[in-house]
Amino acid sequence: MTINHLTDRPKFSMQRRRAVTGLWFMAPGLLVVLAVTIFPILYSIYMGFNTISLTTHGFHFHWNGLGNYRLLLSSSLFRYAIVFTLVYALVTVLVELVLGMMTALVLQRMAWGRPALLALLLLPWSLITVISAEMWGYIYNGVYGALDAILLEFGIIHKPIVWLGFAKLAIASTMFADVWKTMPFVAILLLAGLEMVPVDVIEAAHMDGASNWHVFWRIILPLIRPTMSLAILFRVLQAFGLFDLPFVLTGGGPGTATESIAVLGYQVMFQDLNFGPGAAVASSTTVVVLIIALAFLWVFRGMAEEGVA
Amino acid sequence: MKQDTRWVRLSSIIVALFIVLPLLWMLITSFKSPSQVGITPPPWLPHPFTWVNYRMSFTYFGFQRYFLNSVIVAVSSTLAVLLLGTGAGYALARTPVRGRMALMVGLLVISVFPEIAVISPLYLLMRLLGWLDTYQGLIVPYTAFNLPFSIWILRNYFLSIPREMEEVAQIDGASPFRTVVSVILPQSTPGLFTAAVFTFTATWTEFLMALTIDSSTPFRTIPVGIALFGAEFTVPYGNIFAASVISIVPIALMVLIFRNAIVSGLTQGAVKG
Repeated sequence: MTINHLTDRPKFSMQRRRAVTGLWFMAPGLLVVLAVTIFPILYSIYMGFNTISLTTHGFHFHWNGLGNYRLLLSSSLFRYAIVFTLVYALVTVLVELVLGMMTALVLQRMAWGRPALLALLLLPWSLITVISAEMWGYIYNGVYGALDAILLEFGIIHKPIVWLGFAKLAIASTMFADVWKTMPFVAILLLAGLEMVPVDVIEAAHMDGASNWHVFWRIILPLIRPTMSLAILFRVLQAFGLFDLPFVLTGGGPGTATESIAVLGYQVMFQDLNFGPGAAVASSTTVVVLIIALAFLWVFRGMAEEGVA
Repeated sequence: MKQDTRWVRLSSIIVALFIVLPLLWMLITSFKSPSQVGITPPPWLPHPFTWVNYRMSFTYFGFQRYFLNSVIVAVSSTLAVLLLGTGAGYALARTPVRGRMALMVGLLVISVFPEIAVISPLYLLMRLLGWLDTYQGLIVPYTAFNLPFSIWILRNYFLSIPREMEEVAQIDGASPFRTVVSVILPQSTPGLFTAAVFTFTATWTEFLMALTIDSSTPFRTIPVGIALFGAEFTVPYGNIFAASVISIVPIALMVLIFRNAIVSGLTQGAVKG
């Protein structure tokens, strides 16, 4: 016992010292994250329960309970923004996934020019969204836009279309611009997943007479499901925060057709200066994001543990 | 798997055109005279070719200031993220941390949180601190929002470094800080580059916070500057695109140079995340 005690002790204190060191190493980073992300998220929820008035002395809070949320739920603008943002996220992510998978399969099979195409794919990803919004705004322009000019030239349409002038067209055009910018990111992620599928498994299946189609659905797809689900999670959550693109491209219009939750929240807070209801709008994204993230974590918890171990 | 069939070649060309054509149109337009920018149908090439948009974006729109602001904010945030991320990443990789799993998942969730969820309290906070229209007003939130992903990347990278050299350093009596600086960091350059490129790109492109916190002219970053180029009734597309082309150059160069770091970073984030 005494011997054990003597040999265990230094080891224990060493372990302990390392833990203290770890704490010191982490503390600055975690404090910044705590102060500038977690605290505001929680404070935003608190703000959502208040009426906030702006005077020359600053902001004044008056407890309002669920008043702001009741206001939101009765607002057709808010309900539309929630539905629009959800539908937008689902549709764009689905399209990106299909196109991204096709692109990844092409990339995987390229013998020549693959690094060049990969580099090209990184361009939209690294582009400032505001710039891509201005770029598409110019292309979609109903008077001097290039899209109309091309379609007219080829006789596909007979008079110019004002792409951003009608609700459904504007939504589709915004989605297209979004797919242009984010599909490459999804393609690169999926390519990484594809590259990890062992070649001999695929060859064996081919040898057994499986068709390409069969191999893709039955072997490749199940094997890259972890990569895919993470790509989906990231993209859905990102799409849910949609702000830059509609804010610059359509200003949320025509009318409020492309008004996402973030655009609505921004307008309520910083243009109408209604911080209480605005914070309630913002907090509703917190709730939705947490639900989506937790659902994913729950479904893929086994995978997450593997990754962390 | 390499089987460059005609079908593959055709598809790759279609993908390349899909990506390049809009960008090319922006480049072409930036060399057109203002009168040519608004013609129907648009001329496919600039004629006459002119640098006037580039000159105007500096002399009339003061773009150089926005560019400088973007560089200051993006570089400072990236350095801060690397500094703090190395510490936290090392601690999570090598020291016993209670609730490591919960912490890592928490960081992952934060890194995908929409900015709108925090923007109002952040605005009030910056107002309280007197940090509206200052560089630190953006640098601090940018650092915080990009830290979680970088901590992930760096931790995963540190885990892949063999422990032996660290142990040797420790036996030689090096402090943990010394060990990180002289043993871990020199072996982690790919991981550091990945974290740096992701942070730089995210901060270079960020719009909502910059618009809310730093919207006064002297502190506007490129995205805010370009978004507010517009006059009341006409959008000066020529100038916008000239400024855009200039702001694409540094990031495009960086992306080309660090292409492998980015791809492996995306992969790592996806596979290990």
